Amino acid sequence: MHLKSWQTWVATLVLTALSVLFTLPFIWMLSTSLKVPETIQSAYMDLVPRAPVIDVDGREMRVRPMMEKNGEQEVQVYDEKGELGETLRVTPGQIRQRLWLHTANYSEGIRAFPFVAYLMNTLMICVLCVVGTVLSCSLVAYGLTWVTWRGREPLFWVMLSTMMLPAQVTMIPLFLTFKHLGWINTILPLVVPSFLGNAFFIFLLRQFYRSIPRDLVEAARIDGCSELRIWAQLMVPLSRPALAVVALFTFIGAWNDFLGPLIYLMDERKYTLSIGLAMYQNQYSAEWGQMMAMSLLMTVPIILLFFFTQKTFIQGVKLSGIKG
Amino acid sequence: MSDALPIGREGGRGRVRGKWPLGVAFCLPLIVGLLSLTIYPVVMSFYYSLTDYPIFDPPKWVGLGNYVELSRDPRFWLSLWNTGCYALFAVPLGMVIGLLLALLLNMKIRGMAFYRTLFFLPTIVPMVASAVIWNQILSPQHGLLNEMLRYVGMPEAWVPGWLSDENWSKPALVLMSLWGAGGGMVMYLAALQDVPQDLYDSASLDGANAWHRLLHITLPMISPILMFTFVMGLIGAMQYFSQAFIMTGGGPWDSTLFYSLNLFNTAFSEYRLGYASAMAWILFAIVLGLTWVVMKLSNRMVYYHS
Repeated sequence: MHLKSWQTWVATLVLTALSVLFTLPFIWMLSTSLKVPETIQSAYMDLVPRAPVIDVDGREMRVRPMMEKNGEQEVQVYDEKGELGETLRVTPGQIRQRLWLHTANYSEGIRAFPFVAYLMNTLMICVLCVVGTVLSCSLVAYGLTWVTWRGREPLFWVMLSTMMLPAQVTMIPLFLTFKHLGWINTILPLVVPSFLGNAFFIFLLRQFYRSIPRDLVEAARIDGCSELRIWAQLMVPLSRPALAVVALFTFIGAWNDFLGPLIYLMDERKYTLSIGLAMYQNQYSAEWGQMMAMSLLMTVPIILLFFFTQKTFIQGVKLSGIKG
Repeated sequence: MSDALPIGREGGRGRVRGKWPLGVAFCLPLIVGLLSLTIYPVVMSFYYSLTDYPIFDPPKWVGLGNYVELSRDPRFWLSLWNTGCYALFAVPLGMVIGLLLALLLNMKIRGMAFYRTLFFLPTIVPMVASAVIWNQILSPQHGLLNEMLRYVGMPEAWVPGWLSDENWSKPALVLMSLWGAGGGMVMYLAALQDVPQDLYDSASLDGANAWHRLLHITLPMISPILMFTFVMGLIGAMQYFSQAFIMTGGGPWDSTLFYSLNLFNTAFSEYRLGYASAMAWILFAIVLGLTWVVMKLSNRMVYYHS
């Protein structure tokens, strides 16, 4: 569209306003994750993390304001380690609000959460899901595209028709099956299904495989390549962009998955970040700073991943729309 | 069977004909997956829906008893109503905002890639993390949103209680869902870029203004993707679960007791597996019905070029 310059200006203005709105939750998360508990409860719309401090012997000490009586304020002073120490009486004028990045939210949160253990559990599930999905979906897509056999079309249509099925329908029988297998409280129910294909990704890969020139496959066959070798040495390398989409979406899906771990993981030590954070929120609902810090730590890897794979990502979102 | 695997040599013609063992071998993961993760569970789920099945005792046949009971269950109807309300607002509003963003970005504005990234980012934030963020933003006393409302001078009596007020809890969740409107935006943007420029040029020559071009060219040309996101949005909204589970647990006063949350509680807190299975089948029927209605409508309303 050809635009007049004032139209461009209005559009830019609206976009800037909207982008501030859309960014605000991120900024709020970052700022709250660096605030001391006292400030979160009282600081009105202050995006800058601040804490109340007083001067003691020429040094600035963080304090916790307590009771106020007769124009005097009682404060408790935090020592270097962040532990509450002696109580002092000061005049309200002596208390200043100063920029204070409360990184203890991160260090304490990581210890209490426990972040590293949950991260390892999550990564384990993510990696296994990615391996399983990429392997199974590309094999199946090959079988549905380049091997001519009678059951191919019916199988494809059955697969497509299952995509409409809400997960709630299979949820209960699957839970019972995994219970009989003794898989409850293990990661098996979360990773084994990914080795058995995924209708949407198979569909996506099949579209991609079909665009590969027939001559290439025929030539490989004439040269005596086995079908397995054609898949491994021709199809997989050629379809790397599509496989990247599958891997990326699977990773993010597993990283963000909540319902799966909620149903199948009972033992706290086996929790993923997602379920761990949700349970943590129920237990320590007052620790806003720590919770925000942990949310941020859970979000940052995904955002970094997005920035490194942006092209693949946008491509994938478009592909998922084009199928409609 | 002897020449089944893994040979694909067929001489000069190079075609693999009638090699069903080979096809089955490649598709084995899918076949096993469909049988064990879909078909068997679907059959069992339907059977369970006709039984009374408290998890620790074997299922007992009750015929259509669960469905009859559901039709008289006020919580079932309430959860259906709540879900319908949520879907009715969240899906169209999300589409409108996504489309607005896409239209603005399609104006060939400087920094378009930057804005696109920015609007898209919220959609990849882990759901649990965004629940934590929004819990704090929507907090009635010191949440960001209410502080902003007070800042612009809203009287205290008008400031909503959001998730702690049964009249505001659903709007609060709708508002939160709009943060993810960037997912639709990316798809609309891709569709907008495929609309042929000469359509706009000739319309401009005929004296069509921007509004007419939007209404008579842009929207019809991207109507297939609009319809697709509408259907997928509805199906997703019908299964809305995690946010409500984490943020409200269905409260206050069951105002956020959504269908899937009710189903989950019935199955995994009350252990009424038969009753919950019946609910799952009704959900399936609703999803199928909705899709069918939308597809019927789309034949009249959607323009498929080529």
